[in-house]
Amino acid sequence: MKKPVPYAAIAIALIGASYFVVPLLATFYFSLKMTRGELGFAAYASVFRSADFAATIVYSTIASLAAIAIGTLVIVPTAYWVRLKVPRLRPLMEFISLLPLIVPPVVLVFGYIRMFGSSSVLPLTASTFGTDILLVLGYVVLSMPYMYRAIDNGLSVIDIATLTEAAESLGASRFRTIVLVIFPNVRAAIISGAFLTFSISLGEFVLASLLNRPAFGPYLVQLGQDRAYEPAALAIMSFAFTWGCMALMQLFAIRKPGQRWFSRSTPRTATGSSA
Amino acid sequence: MSFLTISNAGKVFGATTVVKGFDLSVQKGEFVSFLGPSGCGKTTVLRMIAGFERPTTGSIRIDGRDITDLAANKRRIGMVFQAYALFPNLNVAGNIAFGLRIAGQAASEIDARVDDMLRMIGLAHLGKRYPYELSGGQQQRVALARALAPRPQVLLLDEPLSALDAKIRVSLREEIRAIQRQLGITTVFVTHDQEEAMSISDRIVVMNGGRAEQIGTPFEIYNRPATRFVAGFVGTMNILRARLDRGQPQTITVAGQKLRLAAPPVTQDAQGNLSLALRPEALSLTRAEGHDSTFTGQVQSVNFMGSVVRIRMQVNDELISFDMFNSPNMVPPVIGQTALAHFASRDLFELAA
Repeated sequence: MKKPVPYAAIAIALIGASYFVVPLLATFYFSLKMTRGELGFAAYASVFRSADFAATIVYSTIASLAAIAIGTLVIVPTAYWVRLKVPRLRPLMEFISLLPLIVPPVVLVFGYIRMFGSSSVLPLTASTFGTDILLVLGYVVLSMPYMYRAIDNGLSVIDIATLTEAAESLGASRFRTIVLVIFPNVRAAIISGAFLTFSISLGEFVLASLLNRPAFGPYLVQLGQDRAYEPAALAIMSFAFTWGCMALMQLFAIRKPGQRWFSRSTPRTATGSSA
Repeated sequence: MSFLTISNAGKVFGATTVVKGFDLSVQKGEFVSFLGPSGCGKTTVLRMIAGFERPTTGSIRIDGRDITDLAANKRRIGMVFQAYALFPNLNVAGNIAFGLRIAGQAASEIDARVDDMLRMIGLAHLGKRYPYELSGGQQQRVALARALAPRPQVLLLDEPLSALDAKIRVSLREEIRAIQRQLGITTVFVTHDQEEAMSISDRIVVMNGGRAEQIGTPFEIYNRPATRFVAGFVGTMNILRARLDRGQPQTITVAGQKLRLAAPPVTQDAQGNLSLALRPEALSLTRAEGHDSTFTGQVQSVNFMGSVVRIRMQVNDELISFDMFNSPNMVPPVIGQTALAHFASRDLFELAA
């Protein structure tokens, strides 16, 4: 029997989608109207021509990549250790990882300024490099809820206890087990967490602004105050970037080791010699 | 001199004693199985040998060297896990090469050893496949090759066949035994499957409540179980309550029937009560040479099990099982029928408490 077309469901989906798509289309349309009387990409060209755009995006990209590297190096071994040795502490770890969502970034940055100010024992804010370090560490903290969760979920789908024992029985130290077994097997989770970290850090405003660093977030806000069409163009570019990140996350998440990026015509399965 | 020696090993987790006073000596090249029900401590002992658990008491020595406090990755012990535990990010060849790479061997040596191992397990054509592209049996063979590749001193097998289906389990256990014999590697195998343990072991350690109840060859364990637990756990056994007749040291009463034992019993209590065991296959519907005793009872059930037919017969207050080989010409007894079960009294043996 032919299934009836779910008109009501389609209508609800379209209304929901329009709530998101219509403002986006309106922003995109507005971003094309920079040149009076015609539609074009002048606002986009203007953004790309700006020296501040290039400088801030390069700075934020480097800071975000540093935050990803530090976050991965801290969170993967931590989540692994907690799951392997003290699983009863997982609820506490989850609570700690969620703190950056509860405590506002402004509290974090004022805490940093008090703790690492020029009159403190470790005066990181006294130098540009020290303040850059603080900014990167702040990004690590802000992205922790996403990074920790992504990695913890990645660890939950592999039997880390048995894989660790297998590696140790083959002579691997705990460090080599983490590097050779754990990291490669949570690669998809790390990449997911990395993209989320990148998305959060790239446009972050509060930390960068209060630490007075030349990052992309403060540039975006400044541009919004000074210009009309360029912020709309930047908003569309940010959306495109975020969606690109999400697509890449999906791609890495579903790809199995050794699998080609484009599937073969006939899949390989467990066949061949006797079981 | 024994190759692997476990002396007075014990393991306590919190308030729970999992293993106590465990002693075992394994000769070089011997295949020993730990057999017992879930929670009997067999896997804990294996994990203590592997170095994943530290014994609370006692010591473990391999080839004369005390390894009790040695880290797992320094013991040179290969282990095969129930859940295969192949590294998902590495293909078959990569998995087998893992231990060799860790040991820092040259690439040419690794390649040659991996090829040897792949040929040994009959998967030479699957070196480039990933674990998710293999069947359970293939994965376990790769796990075996991976454990053997670095030439370990001892091979530990932790219920490696439990996750496989019955047919593959039988073929793979024969393969494991053949490879073990070929390499002459000292092997400890953990299983709760008595048939598996019987079929491939040089010796079996039957474990119960954290202790070794009996250590012996499969023949000894099956035919001369030392305790009531071993008798009940290994195979099917008729355990009979008997009473020694006063003044007649070799005559007993079992299920209301008088029997004469081959030798005076030694395990009776002050009242002359004792436990005797008799395998179902020791009883027969037809009297054969050597059969000097007979139980008369009423058939309670007849179970056709393929090659054998198991009959349960009520003999006074005892329910006795016995087996007969299936034959197209043989008519099994019917339920309710009075039948005679003949046996040799020398096949009765006493059970310690």
